[in-house]
Amino acid sequence: MATAVQNTAYKVNADVQRPRGWKGIKWTKWISLVFLTVMAIITLMPFVWVVSTSLRNSVQSFTVPPKWIPTDMDFSNYSRVFDEIPFWNQIGNSFIITLSVVVGQLVTASLAGYAFARLRFPGRNVLFTLVLATLMIPGQATIIPVFILISRGLHLNDTQWALIIPALATAFGTFLLRQYFKGIPDDYEEAALVEGANQWQIFTRIYLPLASPGMAILAVLTFNAKWNDYFSPLIFMNTKERFPITLGIVDLQGYMATGSISVVLAGIVLSTIPVIIIYILGQRYLVEGLMAGGLKG
Amino acid sequence: MTQKLSRRDMLKLAAASAAAVGAGLVPTIRIFAAPPGQDTVTLRFQENEEQYAKVVEAFKQQFPNVNIEFVNVTGVDHAEVASKILAQLAAGQPVNIGYAATEATQLYAGEGLALALDQRVMDNKDELAEYFADVSPVLVETDLYEGSLYQLPRDFNAANMYFNTALLKEAGLEVPGEEWTKDDFVEYAKAMTGIGEGKDSFGYGWTNRLWGSWTPWFFVNDTNFLSEEKAPGGEWLWENFYAGDPNAEGRGGGYRWPAPQANNPKMVETLEFVLSLTKDGYAPEATIGGGDLLQGFFTSGKLGMTPAGGFWSGGLINAGMNVGDFDVQFWPKWVSQRHQLGVGAAWILNGAENEDQAWEFVKFSSKKEVMEMIGFFGELTGTTPVRRSMNDEKRYSKSGPANWHVFYDTVDKRPDTGPIPAPVFSIEETNIYTRYTSSATSGEMSAQAALDAMQKDLEDLYARNA
Amino acid sequence: MSSSAIHYPPEHRRNFIGRLLAADTISGVKRQRMLLGYLFIAPTVIGLFVFVIGPMIGSFGLSFYKWNVFRPPEFVGLANFQRLAGDARVFLSFKTTFILVAMTVIMLEGLALALALSVYRLANRALSTFFRTAYFLPVLLSGAAVAITLGYLFNKDFGVINYYLGLLGIPKIPWLTSSDTVLFTISLTTVWRNLGFTFIIYLGGLSTMPGEILEAAEVDGAQGWQKLLRITLPLLSPTILFAAVTDIIKMLQFFDEPFIMTRGGPGDASRTVVMMMYESGFGNLDFGYGSAIALVLFAVIMIVTGIQFYLSRRWVFYG
Repeated sequence: MATAVQNTAYKVNADVQRPRGWKGIKWTKWISLVFLTVMAIITLMPFVWVVSTSLRNSVQSFTVPPKWIPTDMDFSNYSRVFDEIPFWNQIGNSFIITLSVVVGQLVTASLAGYAFARLRFPGRNVLFTLVLATLMIPGQATIIPVFILISRGLHLNDTQWALIIPALATAFGTFLLRQYFKGIPDDYEEAALVEGANQWQIFTRIYLPLASPGMAILAVLTFNAKWNDYFSPLIFMNTKERFPITLGIVDLQGYMATGSISVVLAGIVLSTIPVIIIYILGQRYLVEGLMAGGLKG
Repeated sequence: MTQKLSRRDMLKLAAASAAAVGAGLVPTIRIFAAPPGQDTVTLRFQENEEQYAKVVEAFKQQFPNVNIEFVNVTGVDHAEVASKILAQLAAGQPVNIGYAATEATQLYAGEGLALALDQRVMDNKDELAEYFADVSPVLVETDLYEGSLYQLPRDFNAANMYFNTALLKEAGLEVPGEEWTKDDFVEYAKAMTGIGEGKDSFGYGWTNRLWGSWTPWFFVNDTNFLSEEKAPGGEWLWENFYAGDPNAEGRGGGYRWPAPQANNPKMVETLEFVLSLTKDGYAPEATIGGGDLLQGFFTSGKLGMTPAGGFWSGGLINAGMNVGDFDVQFWPKWVSQRHQLGVGAAWILNGAENEDQAWEFVKFSSKKEVMEMIGFFGELTGTTPVRRSMNDEKRYSKSGPANWHVFYDTVDKRPDTGPIPAPVFSIEETNIYTRYTSSATSGEMSAQAALDAMQKDLEDLYARNA
Repeated sequence: MSSSAIHYPPEHRRNFIGRLLAADTISGVKRQRMLLGYLFIAPTVIGLFVFVIGPMIGSFGLSFYKWNVFRPPEFVGLANFQRLAGDARVFLSFKTTFILVAMTVIMLEGLALALALSVYRLANRALSTFFRTAYFLPVLLSGAAVAITLGYLFNKDFGVINYYLGLLGIPKIPWLTSSDTVLFTISLTTVWRNLGFTFIIYLGGLSTMPGEILEAAEVDGAQGWQKLLRITLPLLSPTILFAAVTDIIKMLQFFDEPFIMTRGGPGDASRTVVMMMYESGFGNLDFGYGSAIALVLFAVIMIVTGIQFYLSRRWVFYG
């Protein structure tokens, strides 16, 4: 998939005529540069505050003027995170849940998206409309019946399955990938048929790679949504060791919220590090995938 | 729980889906799942495993065939924890032993979920006599509901006044005496405002919730937003365990809150007083939710006084304060000096299997030497133990205020201290209370208007639950 | 192996299904694609039936009951809907949700577009990577973490934001404690967290715009605003629609931020529909009433989506 993304991105970027150099810099460019810088400061400021506050004893968490540079380097808040929640367990749970859902959604949505875009079968439009209609049903609106089904029907309450199984089918992902598959010209398929490829091969070898930008978007969206999900774990999970890290962070606030702010912030920092690492590793594919964008012809 | 799907499960799934598709979803639900037929009994216990590790270890030596499985539920307040426990009951994963604070005691009892302990307590009268002798009747009474006892109290917190000693000192003040008044309090608040390192301190601050919110103020103004009376009954308890205790006189079968009275003149007067503290600049605007913000301000020297109980002391040390940086006193006197309190304890699920083993565990954990093993009662005090004998100098040596005795004196010397109002429908009641409180603190509504609206919503609530 | 089989033409060697799906006949290809179609959609359709449509119908059923888990459910007919019709708080929560969605989506799309256009114009690769990374960072945080953090920063009396505004001579703003400002603050918080994502989507849309058209426009003398309004934005409109629809659907389910930052306060000023539903269902254990609110939310989303599709047909430019 990675190679495919790069290839597509390369192809598409080759077509794009980027505005040239700094010659003829106009004042509008300076304005936009100032705008970008101000926005970057606004975006980054809370991060700096979180990190520097997490490195200070909470007795100093509200000093004014705010201290932006963590001079104290007090790591005790970080070690307390490990004392108070089973951090590695919870991070591991988050990974298991999130990756299962991402992989599952990529499989189900690419299959269904392809079928709705390129295969003809009776009832296709009715079924697709039905799938689209479910987009309008907010996940939280059905949480009570889903909760009953998961816990009493399947006996999966308080297991990772409770967070994985209901999330495997995705109307949004199906819709998204259908758009990508629809945007790919028919010529590819005709050429493949001439060369003797069967339907499965046409799907896996030709269309799937071409839809990889869409899959990258779906993967990132799903990863982000699932990793940061607070609502469903709140309802399904009871045992600390089985919590995903989002619940763990809230747990840090302690009994009647007697936890210290600095420890909560340290927990936020720690829980964000893995995602940042993943982002750095995957950034090239992610951004290129997103940049390759629509493939709208 | 993670076993593969058997055919029976598939059938169940099919049945559940069918039920979901029809409107018949509801009636197929049973609360209590059939227990697995095993020799070893597993009790699901709503607690934090770390806090109870030693207790369970000791228990297992006596009862090797009883397993304790921890169900750790968190929330910003007790009402939120209670709703999550109820959702688990709906999930068919009930806890055998729950933990309820006053916020949820009557909820579990009134809905028939908690087991009445009367008979079991009487059957173990000799063994438990020592326990009751060590626990104030003020605390025990809060766990009675309509004459029956549902819980053996474990910890409690009355709202006392915490002081930041550095700010006190800077203001040239000392911790006041037990008999201090509301007017003294205002002077204290004024003096501790606008000082400190950043010259931006507030004299007083509070969090908007049911316990320890502005609730302590209407308690000392001798009123309440729900009318309060005592249920008949409970003599069996008082006569058998508290005969001769003057503090047990006039106790009944538990509290009742039969009607709302949120907009009575004394409530309005109280709220106006509390709002005036913010208007005069002595208090920041109160926010809903956790106390961590309040704690942050207090520890960083920006708050002079705040309502809190023994549970706060350990947290303050954890947050970097030292012994001596804070102290505590009774709530100031207004019309009375009646304190508000919350009591926490285990309850046993009614009608479930293994009730006997659950009772054994509850009884076992009420022994003094066992309570000493609970993490909350360790080196740093996480909450106030209900046993008088456990509230001693040694306990508070590492995390205590100099006036640590105030915690237990609140129930011993001020026996009119009573529970925060929490009837069966306490979750919704709490929401109404905090909602209109925030309307008033934000200045959107006057005290009178907010309490009128609160009264109306409470009346609707009572009508719906009539 | 009988020797005669060797001489059969290929399709005779196949079994019935094989023949039916033979790729080398036109009807075979059709049938193959048909069967494959059903197989491919099966996981999605079954999953959605079991976990979305079924439960939705279940909610419908529940809304006719009064049920709090431990008392036997009681059929109450339309009582929940009657209560709903007279419940001013539910109406307010819808109004609150719409205001939040409108404010958030407008700010989000506007800012993201402006950022994307500015970054796209940047010729300096390192700088553009820096900005891209910076804007994307908040996306990696959870709504809960962001709400906790910004809740501290927006605190009226001790927050960093009011401290700096104070240096500029601006009096303390009650960011989260006044109904005049609380929705704006929650919107800002949500925009802060989601901006990076929408921005990247727009940047992607811009990067895939056919360069020839832009070139041609410049040759024709289209410059600056004119070029932006006449060429760039219309070309980008499918992306804008996609991003806006995604964001609106996401925001209609507003929960984490107001739940953690204000619990719906002050009063009901920031109580969203999903919060009302959660409080009725899981807070007050009134599953029937919670389900009734869910159904109304569903109806409203249906109407909004209908309007969106109508508008998109009229206005969106599909190259």
